[in-house]
Amino acid sequence: MAKKVSVDGGGDTSHLYESKTIRSSAPSRKKAAGRLKSSTEIPKDAIPEIHVPSFIESFFGGPVVAKQKFLPADRMVSSLQIGAASSLTILCFLTLAITPVSGTAWFAVSNILGLGSLGGLFHLSLIVIGLIGGIYGTFQRDKRAMLVSYVTLILVTIRFAGSTVEFRFDFLPEGEIAQKFILILYAVFLVMYIELSSGVIRFSMLDTSIRMNEVYVMGVKKITRKYHTSLAIAPVIAGIVALMTLLINLIIPAIVDIFDGSSDVASERLRESVELTSVYGVALGTAIVFLIIAIMFGVNLPLRIQQMRERGA
Amino acid sequence: MAWSRKSAMFASLAVALYLLGLVLRNQQLVTVAVVLLSFLTWAAFMSNHADVSSSGRRIEDEKRIDGVQLNSIVALRKISSSRIFEDGEIEVTLRLQNKSNLAKIVEVRDRVPEVMRVKKGANYVLMELGPQRETTIKYTIETPLRGFYTIGPVCIRIQDAFGLFHNEREVNLYDDFLVFPKMEDIKDALIKSRVPKIFTGAVNIRNPGEGSNFYNLREYIPGDPMKKVNWSATARSGGKMMVNEYERDAVSDIILIIDSRSVSETGPVSRNSLVYSTRAAASLAQYFLSRRDSVGLVVYSDEIVSVDRDTGKKQLYVLLTKLSGAIAKGNTPLKVVTNRIMPHINRGSPIIILSPLEDDSTIVDAVRDLRARNFDVTVLSPSSLEFEFDAKRLDRTGYEVLKTERDILMSELRGLGAFVMDWEPDMMLNTALAGARGF
Repeated sequence: MAKKVSVDGGGDTSHLYESKTIRSSAPSRKKAAGRLKSSTEIPKDAIPEIHVPSFIESFFGGPVVAKQKFLPADRMVSSLQIGAASSLTILCFLTLAITPVSGTAWFAVSNILGLGSLGGLFHLSLIVIGLIGGIYGTFQRDKRAMLVSYVTLILVTIRFAGSTVEFRFDFLPEGEIAQKFILILYAVFLVMYIELSSGVIRFSMLDTSIRMNEVYVMGVKKITRKYHTSLAIAPVIAGIVALMTLLINLIIPAIVDIFDGSSDVASERLRESVELTSVYGVALGTAIVFLIIAIMFGVNLPLRIQQMRERGA
Repeated sequence: MAWSRKSAMFASLAVALYLLGLVLRNQQLVTVAVVLLSFLTWAAFMSNHADVSSSGRRIEDEKRIDGVQLNSIVALRKISSSRIFEDGEIEVTLRLQNKSNLAKIVEVRDRVPEVMRVKKGANYVLMELGPQRETTIKYTIETPLRGFYTIGPVCIRIQDAFGLFHNEREVNLYDDFLVFPKMEDIKDALIKSRVPKIFTGAVNIRNPGEGSNFYNLREYIPGDPMKKVNWSATARSGGKMMVNEYERDAVSDIILIIDSRSVSETGPVSRNSLVYSTRAAASLAQYFLSRRDSVGLVVYSDEIVSVDRDTGKKQLYVLLTKLSGAIAKGNTPLKVVTNRIMPHINRGSPIIILSPLEDDSTIVDAVRDLRARNFDVTVLSPSSLEFEFDAKRLDRTGYEVLKTERDILMSELRGLGAFVMDWEPDMMLNTALAGARGF
């Protein structure tokens, strides 16, 4: 294709290009070089960004809390957020109710300083931080705030108790079983809060991946239903196992009672044993219960149940 | 059964609280620890239930039912093509069968090569697979870079609802495919042999002979066929009979030399000298073979791989396969390559060298030797400086210094009579070739 070319100040040179193909010339390197400045400074964008891991990151092999961006929460995530916030609220109330300030480190320090109320204030503020941090972390899906919430809510329970169960409020029941039931309720809510809040992050990641077409999910309802079912079953199971562990001071005498039916002396002594009613009794209970569980795993019971279900289905 | 980070955190927290509870005689802490441990135990119990045993077979082998059927989950894969060009697409069909009588919630990830991009569908699927059911997953991957690739294995994972523990199996199901370098249509390579070969072909070689292109006029010699007489020229010459002479058409031996040393991969993965060289070689091979030339290939890296000259479509696929497998490694000097191949090439044959012309002090000597033996040498040099500069890995001063050195080397090569072109990243191959040949 002929192309007319005119030169400023010169004559018409189009005849030179008649019936010749004029190709577009390659980008001129000389021209590019001419545009370059003579400065020897290395451009900022030429230096690659290097993330130097901190001591903690090096220790854990990566960031403790990874920053992630999520798409707006879908229905599943929203319901989990509400669930986490609800369980957190109940948990904070239970924490406040069953965790007196006496026996804590800040209580001792404030007493030494002669400011008795300061310990109580600090204790309360820890619970409030746990509540606010948890709600903020859950709704903003900020793992750092969640971590702060977990730490404060666990920190507030760390106190010397002398093997006695003490509650902050007087209106709470004083019976042994009722007390232990409340303790288990508290523990279950703590675990549920941790699980639900981490579930918010997990399902947000999944939802973001689905919407970004990184993962395809077939049968979303069945998968979420399984999670909901597990959320209902797991705390009950964990609660029952914990109840068995805590009530070992009643279970062991009852068993002894069966084998030693002629007299109630042995079982009565066991029932009144200080060791069994103390925290060491709970330790014994834990050892027994988890020994049974270990034997179940040892004989590969889960797989055998699986095979039985497969055959039966 | 593998532990997740979350389960490890739960377990360590439980142990810490348990021990702390015993020390502080705090039943509250012990209770929390016991509940945490119970929670973990239940999850472990449930994830052990979901034991996966799986194996894989290709769809083609499906009819054979003598395979080991221990599996509860079977994966079968089919790919739309095992040979494709760069920027092509491969459709992958993955069929999953649940041979168990129980429904399973499984995560399936079909591993695709890192450089590939999933364009349509997903290779990572989370699904509930019913008892004795099967499902099909389809996805399309883009193939941006040449090479030999493998899809697989298929990773199947079952985890408990809380994501605390998981069981994972890799189904050893692999499908190989080959990505050829993409080719550019070349109108005219402007490269012709100076030496006639015995067999005539479609390319004129600037020597008189039996051909189709006009060469010159000469006086009639007895024996010339009458159809060659140019009557107009005869009339103008005042009685002398003039005949037309034609350029001899003949096939040429074209040798493509690809620099595949480590240095040729300088620059980004998709924009470097080796990528450009292989694409150019593929385009040139296609062009020369289409005009019935014999094309040979030499790829040098830590070793010298050569494909003997031949013609035809089969040769094109042989060359494309070698180009697909070119990996940047080693540092064999060009002189070693030319010394080895020179005795086997016809003098005067065109030789096209595709090299970044870096990190090799023997380049000038090698080209001098080739020129001394009357080879028609064309050097297309994809500039790694430009790739590095574009990727902002090279500062301006360094760029200018290295560019000056490169220009000096190119001038030296031009001085030896080689056709040299500094091939910049945005330049079409046609343009680069035209530039090399001085058009």
